Amino acid sequence: MNLSWVLTTLVFSPLAGIAVLALLPKTQEKLIKLIGFLATLPPLALGLAAYLHFLDGKKLSDFAVSTEWIQFRGMNVNEPIYSVYYELGLSGFQLLLVVLTAVVATLAAIAARSVKKEWKGFFMLFLLLEIGMLGVFTAENLILFFLFFEITLIPTFFLIGKWGYFEKEKAAYSFLIYNGLGSAVLLIVIMILFAKTGTTNIDLLAHIMTDETAPLSGALKLGLLISLLVAFGVKLPIFPLHSWMLRVHVQAPPAVVMIHSGILLKIGAYGLIRFGMGIFPEQFETLAVAIAILGVINLLYGAFLAFIQTDFKMVLAYSSISHMGIVLIGLAAMNEAGIQGAIFQVISHGLISALLFFLVGVLYERTDTSLIDNLGGLAKGMPITAGFLLAAAMASLGLPGMSGFVSEFMAFLGLFRELPWIAAVGTIGIIMTAAYLLRAVLGMTYGKAHREFVGVADLRGVEFVPVVVLMLLIVLIGVYPSVLSSPLQATLETLMLGLGG
Amino acid sequence: MENAWLIPLFPLLSFLILLLIGKRLKEASAYVGILFTLASLVFSILVLFERFSEPTFLKKFDWLTIGDLHLTAGFEVNQLNALMLFIVSLVSFLVHTYSKGYMHGDERMPVFYAYLGLFTFAMLGLVISPNLLQTYIFWELVGVGSFLLIGFYFYKEEAKAAAKKAFIMTRIGDVGLLIGMILLFWQTKSFEYSEIFQAVEAGAVSNTMLTLTAILIFIGAVGKSGQFPLHTWLPDAMEGPTPVSALIHAATMVAAGVYLVAALFPLFTASPTALLTVATVGAVTAIFAASIGLVQTDIKRVLAYSTVSQLGYMMLALGSAGYVAGVFHLMTHAFFKALLFLAAGSVIHAVHTQNIEEMGGLWKKLKLTGPLFLIGTLAISGVPGLSGFFSKDEILVAAWEGGHPVLFLFALIAAFMTAFYMFRLFFMVFTGESRGQQKNVHESPSVMTMPMVVLGVLAVIAGYVNTPWFGSFLGDWLVDGNEALGHGHIEGPIWIMIAATVVSLAGIYLAWLIYGKRSIARDWLSGQGGMLYTVLYNKYYIDEFYQLTVIAFTKGFSYFLRFIDTFIVEGIVKGVSGIVQGLGAMGSKMQTGRAQTYGTVAFVSLAVLAVIFALTGGYLR
Repeated sequence: MNLSWVLTTLVFSPLAGIAVLALLPKTQEKLIKLIGFLATLPPLALGLAAYLHFLDGKKLSDFAVSTEWIQFRGMNVNEPIYSVYYELGLSGFQLLLVVLTAVVATLAAIAARSVKKEWKGFFMLFLLLEIGMLGVFTAENLILFFLFFEITLIPTFFLIGKWGYFEKEKAAYSFLIYNGLGSAVLLIVIMILFAKTGTTNIDLLAHIMTDETAPLSGALKLGLLISLLVAFGVKLPIFPLHSWMLRVHVQAPPAVVMIHSGILLKIGAYGLIRFGMGIFPEQFETLAVAIAILGVINLLYGAFLAFIQTDFKMVLAYSSISHMGIVLIGLAAMNEAGIQGAIFQVISHGLISALLFFLVGVLYERTDTSLIDNLGGLAKGMPITAGFLLAAAMASLGLPGMSGFVSEFMAFLGLFRELPWIAAVGTIGIIMTAAYLLRAVLGMTYGKAHREFVGVADLRGVEFVPVVVLMLLIVLIGVYPSVLSSPLQATLETLMLGLGG
Repeated sequence: MENAWLIPLFPLLSFLILLLIGKRLKEASAYVGILFTLASLVFSILVLFERFSEPTFLKKFDWLTIGDLHLTAGFEVNQLNALMLFIVSLVSFLVHTYSKGYMHGDERMPVFYAYLGLFTFAMLGLVISPNLLQTYIFWELVGVGSFLLIGFYFYKEEAKAAAKKAFIMTRIGDVGLLIGMILLFWQTKSFEYSEIFQAVEAGAVSNTMLTLTAILIFIGAVGKSGQFPLHTWLPDAMEGPTPVSALIHAATMVAAGVYLVAALFPLFTASPTALLTVATVGAVTAIFAASIGLVQTDIKRVLAYSTVSQLGYMMLALGSAGYVAGVFHLMTHAFFKALLFLAAGSVIHAVHTQNIEEMGGLWKKLKLTGPLFLIGTLAISGVPGLSGFFSKDEILVAAWEGGHPVLFLFALIAAFMTAFYMFRLFFMVFTGESRGQQKNVHESPSVMTMPMVVLGVLAVIAGYVNTPWFGSFLGDWLVDGNEALGHGHIEGPIWIMIAATVVSLAGIYLAWLIYGKRSIARDWLSGQGGMLYTVLYNKYYIDEFYQLTVIAFTKGFSYFLRFIDTFIVEGIVKGVSGIVQGLGAMGSKMQTGRAQTYGTVAFVSLAVLAVIFALTGGYLR
C-alpha cells in the first residue's frame, strides 16, 4: 500500500477548513467555531492512525514522501546545481510531536470558544498556524523546515496582536522582532550549509558531517552550532533570550498560549535535538558543559522568579522557562537517559502547560483576573476547577504517576552520570518548583475566599473535554511511559550513533 | 502471595469510585472506603500468614526502557513487607471506620474518604516495592496524600500553610533520596534492592560512595519521618482532621522513613559512618522533640512531638545496628500511637477544643476513652507488661550494645521525659476539675470506640510477639535468611531493663506530683528556668530560624533575580529593538524621492556586482 499521501494530507488538511471559513459570512459565530474545531480533526485522526501503524509493528518510513521541487540550474540546463526537494517524513520523535500538535490544536480550538470577536479571521489564522506547526515537525530538509517555521510566525503575530489582552501590540511586536532575528540567524546557517554541501536534507547532512573530507572546518561547524543554539534558544527560550515569551504568555488569548507554550516553544527543543545534536554531534559534545550550565541557569532562574510573581500567568511563564531548562539538562547529558528525558519533557510539558493555560482561560473568563491575591479560596466556589488546577500543578512539579516525573527523573539520571556537580545544583530546582507552584496554586484555591464566588459556574459541558483528555494523557505517560519510549527507540539509536556511543 | 499486588489496588479503586460518584453517595461513601480497606486487610492477613511458612515472593516486569537500561516495576513480599502490609492496612481500616463517626455531618466526607483511599493505596504500594525507584514513586504519592489531608480544611489559613510546609519540607528530604538513589544506580547499575545489596557485598561500590549515598538516602528518611532538622512540618500537620493524624502522622507515613532505612539496611551497615549518622540524628531527635513535648498545651501537638521523638528512637535503634529493635518499635508504636491519636480525637470530639488547659476531669465523663487513653499512655511510657516496654527495652539494649554510651544516655533521658509529658497530658485531661465551659460532654459513638478498643488490645499484647512465650521471636523471623540484618534477638544485661523501668516510673511519679497530687506547683518549671521554658515553649525557635535564613534568602535571591530581569535582560531587549528601529529610521531617510540618487545607487551597485562576477568567474562557491 502506498502511504506517501498521508503526510501531505495531514499537514495541509486544515486548508480545507480555511477554504470553508473563507466562504462563510463573518457573523455566523457558532458555525465558524464549529468549522474551526472540525478542521483540526483530520490531522488528529491521521496522526493517531500513524501511531497505530507504528504500534502494528510497521515501519514509519512508509510515510516518507520526496519529489523534486525547486531547482537552480546553471549553464548546463540538464544538471541542476542546487535542488530542493519537497520531502516529508516521520521518525518516532516526529510522530510524537505531530500527535502532540494535533491533540493540542484540537483542544485549543475548543478553548477558542471564548474568543469574543472576529471569529472568522481568528480561526483562519489558527488553522494556518496549525499547518505551519505540522509542517515544521514533518519537514525532512532545512529549506522546507524554514518555510513552515516562518508560516508559524506570521499567524501567531496576528493572533497575539489582535485577540490578546491589554498590551497585545507590544507583546506581538516583541514576539516578531525576537523570532524574526532568530529566523535570520537560522536562515544564515541553512544557507551556509546549503552552499557548502549542496543539500539541505537533514539525514544527508548528518551523514556528510561525519565525513572527514567534508568541506567544513571544525571551527565553522562549532560556529554553526552556536548559531543554531541562538536561533532555537530564542524559541525555547534560553536565558537571557526569554523576555519576549513572558509578554506573549501574559497577553495572548488562552487558546493561543496553549499552542504557544504547548507546541511553539517545543520547536526550539526539536530544532536543537534534530539539527543541533543530529547534525553536529561532535561539536555538541564540546559544548555539553556549557549547555548543562545554561540548563541549570534556566531551571533555577525561572523557578526563583516564578516564586515572587503576583500574576498566575507570569508564574506559568517563568515556570515554562524553568521547565525548558530540564530539556537542556537532559540534552547536555548526551546519554540515552538524558536525551530520552529531554524528549519526554518536550511532550510532557506540552501537555501540562496546555492544561494549565486552559484552566487559566477558564478562570479568567469567569473572574476577569489571574492575580493570585484576587483569587483566594477558589476551591469553595469552583471545587472541580480548583481540583484540576491542583492536579495540573502536581503534574508540573513532577509528581510520580504523571508525565513530568518520568521526564525530570530521566534528565537528572542522565546528567548525574556525566556532570554530577552541575546536576546536584540543578536539583534545587526540584524543591523550588514545588515551592512556587504550591504558593501560587494554594494562594488561589485554598485559604479564605477574598471575594464572593456565588454564581460563578464551575467547569461545565464541553470544557471538560480538554481538561480530561490532557489529564488522562499526562497520567498515561506517567504510569505507562512505554507509549512514548517505544516510538523513540529508533530515534535514540540514531542520535547515539551520531554521538559515537 | 502472588495476589499481594491486589492489596494496594483496593484503596485505589475506592479513591477512583469516590472521585467519580462520591458526591452522589454522600455519607454512604464511608462504606465504600471501609469495605475496600477491609478487603486489603483480609488479603494482608492472608499474605502475612502465608509468609510465615513460605519464602519471599518477587515478581517484576519492564516498566521503562532507556536504551539498554530496563527499569522494572513489580512487587515483593518479604518479612518486613508482609509485616508492614498488615500494620498499614489494619490501621487504615480502623481509621476508616473511626472516621465514619468523627467526620459525621461534614458535607465533604466523600472527598475525605477519597483522599484516605489515595493515601492508603500509596502507602501499601510503598511497602511492597521491590526496587528503589518504585519506592520513590510511592514515597512521593504518600506525600501528596498527606498533603491533601493536612489541607483538608482548605478554607483555614493554618491548614493551607501547614499543607504547603509539609509538602516542601518533605520534598527537601526527597531530593536527597533522589540524588542518593541516582548515584547508587550509576554505581550498581540497578535500582533493585537485591542487586544493590549484591553489588555492595561484592565491594563494587567505593566506601566514600557508600557513605555518601546512604546519607543522602537517609536525608529522605529524615524529611519523611520528621527527624531533626526537618521535623518542623510534623507538628504543624496536626491541622488535618485527627483520624488523619492517627493514620498518617503517627502510624504509617512518618514511619516510612524508618521503613526505608530498614529496607536498605545492608547498605547502611556497610558504612559505619552512615550508621553513626543515623543513630546520632535519631538520638538527638528523640531527646530534642521530647523536651519540646514537655511544655506544649495542644493535645495533638504534644502527641506530634511525641511521635517525632519516638521515630528518633527507631532511627537510633537502626543506627545502632538494631534492625529488629527498630522494626519492632515501629510496629508497637503504630498501635499505641494510633490509639492515642484516636482517643485524643474522641476527647476533641467531646469537648471541641484541643487546649489541655481547658480540659480536666474527663475520666468520669468519657468512660471508655479514658481507660483506653491510659493504656496508650502506659504503653508509650514503657511500663512493664505493655507493648512499649518490650520494644523500648530492645532499643536501649541495641544502643548499649552498639557501643554508644552517650546515645544510650540520650535514649534513657528521652524515656524519662516521655513518661513525664505523657502523664502530664493524661492528668491534665482526665483528672482534677473541669477547667472549660463544656456542656453535654458525652462518649463517642461505638463506631469510634470500637477501633480504639482493637488498638488498645494490640497496644497491650503486641509486645509479646518478640518474647519466647509464643514459641519463637518476631526478631528471628524478621532476620531469617538474611545475615546482613544482624541478630534476631539478643539477651541484654538485666540492669538495662531495670533502669528503663525505673526511669519510666520516675517520670510518671513526677508528673503525678505536679499534675495529679499537685504537691509541686505547676509553674515550678517555668519559674525555675524561665529562659529554658520559653525556649522549649517556642520549640527552640527553629521555625523562626528558618524564616530568617532559608526563606528570607530565597525571597531575597528571587528579588535580586527580578532586578536582573527588569534591568539587564530588558536592557538587552531595549537595545535590540533600538537597533531595529534605528535601521528602520535610516532606511526611511534614504527614501528621499530624488530619482538621481536612486539612479546613482543602482548603477554603482551594478558595477560592483559586475566586478565580483568577473573576479570569481560566476558562482560564489
